[in-house]
Amino acid sequence: MALLEVHNLTKNFGGLTANDNISFQVEKGDLIGIIGPNGAGKTTLFNCVAGLHPISSGQIIFDGKDITELKSHEVARLGMARTFQVYAASGDLSVLENVMVGCFMRTSSTLAAKVKAKEILKEFKLENLSDYLLREIPVAAQKRVTMATAVGTQPKILLLDEVAAGLNSSEIEEIMGTIRSIHNKLAITVMLIEHVMELVMNVSDRVIVIDSGKKIAEGNPEDISNNPDVIKAYLGERYVQEHSAELR
Amino acid sequence: METLKNAFDFSDFPRIDLTVAGIFVFLFLIFPLFPHSAFAMATMIQFFMFSLYGMGWNTIGGYGGQVDLGKAQYVGIGAFTTAVMLIRWNIPFWVSMPIGVCFAVIWSFMLGYPLFRLKGHYFAIATIAASLVLKDLFEVWDFVGAARGLEISPVKYNPPDFLHLIFKEDIYYYYVILVFFFIGILYVNWFRKSRLGFQLRSIKDNEEVAQSLGINVHWAKIKTYAIATAFVSVVGSFHACYIKNIEPEDTMSLDISILIALMAMLGGAGSLWGPIIGAGILIPMKSYLKEWLGAQAGLVGIDLIIYGAIIMLVSAAEPRGIWGIVEKVRRRKAK
Repeated sequence: MALLEVHNLTKNFGGLTANDNISFQVEKGDLIGIIGPNGAGKTTLFNCVAGLHPISSGQIIFDGKDITELKSHEVARLGMARTFQVYAASGDLSVLENVMVGCFMRTSSTLAAKVKAKEILKEFKLENLSDYLLREIPVAAQKRVTMATAVGTQPKILLLDEVAAGLNSSEIEEIMGTIRSIHNKLAITVMLIEHVMELVMNVSDRVIVIDSGKKIAEGNPEDISNNPDVIKAYLGERYVQEHSAELR
Repeated sequence: METLKNAFDFSDFPRIDLTVAGIFVFLFLIFPLFPHSAFAMATMIQFFMFSLYGMGWNTIGGYGGQVDLGKAQYVGIGAFTTAVMLIRWNIPFWVSMPIGVCFAVIWSFMLGYPLFRLKGHYFAIATIAASLVLKDLFEVWDFVGAARGLEISPVKYNPPDFLHLIFKEDIYYYYVILVFFFIGILYVNWFRKSRLGFQLRSIKDNEEVAQSLGINVHWAKIKTYAIATAFVSVVGSFHACYIKNIEPEDTMSLDISILIALMAMLGGAGSLWGPIIGAGILIPMKSYLKEWLGAQAGLVGIDLIIYGAIIMLVSAAEPRGIWGIVEKVRRRKAK
């Protein structure tokens, strides 16, 4: 049985169809990349799956339970964690306290939450930033803290929304390591939205491509990068025609 | 066990804070032994009462970031429950106070459930409206004395009556409220480190992120609103026995609601010491300004102008109040 099954998910915002009849499955242990041009509906897809937006039609099954109607916090408690793309870190919570909030989902003891949070920060090599406020640390570290916070909820699946956006190549390298260790060492199934192709193609086992709200392709990274539909979505029809010989 | 340990554990504060706090605790304990005016005594009692109001407000307003401007209605619920029960049935304070808390908390759930669908300024305005409506209802409700209010006559009792909390000398009230004050500090000290406290701070930061971490945002706010309400209601009950003459116009006015919120914001919302610092500044100022200036014609209300100005200055310099400034300086020094 698949860990996550999305059947015919459609999401309309008024007259705009942000997700159009999208179906896919995620098996336990997968590391799936979701790519697509800007405005394709990737983040909306995450928001729908994680229960932040009620969906217009379709069905979502997570770990054998129908979560279509569940709210965001209920879905989280079932074991689906996520990070957010735009996160204005304005609060007065320190890095350690942020991760503790995640850990508090599984325990009501402050001591236990603290111990767990410290453990996770160590795993993420963030322990020397523990006492800083989120806004005081570099963006790359902030992204890793939000990942650590999500991991604190001890999820079965982790949805990462553009964790590498705006980072330089050494920082991307570091984030890739973090993603791999979440996936391999902590054995958490990962789904990630990403624009940085270097990262997606490197870490994912499978890639789903979304364009204008529709799923246009799914497959292993190599096939996807040669798929004419995908190239068309990114580079336009003309490019595909002009370079058809090379693409074959 | 861990709960109790956390309540008494202040070790995450720098030593200087604890020293200053220790000195103040000592001063509070011995204050009545020194010669003092009745006016100074009354001001001190007011200070403790408003500190407690502020601490309660601080849970939902400070840690949770939900600006509540309707706390006076719960002062009224507590005060009138105690007064009615005492006058009509001679029920002791220690019984009527928890009953008042129950009424207040039930009312807070009924209000909180719809009101927390609103956010930001809309929530604040709705709390003002709810509080004013309840005040108006009390003003036409004969059972609670309507607009005339209620008067507890001490003649029937034999002061010092600890059961009914009827005393002749203010010193008894002083120590009773001081005990409540210490309990309040211990509670908030536990609260800020509790799961709910952390969840609330996360909600203040970003509600969508909080939800994604399994927090039922609506319910967490309602729960904390009830905690804030319980604080206020307890002090409301005390207020009835202490003042002995309560009217909806005094106990449930918008002024009280705003003063409660202002104190916490001036001192530093979302910090343990903030509401106490705020009350320590505003209450003496309010009392003494009234005393000095209030009597002179044409100067009525100047106290309001002065604390309006202070609030503006503080919020322009540091929105997190006086304690925010202290923490800012400390963080800068630490680097």
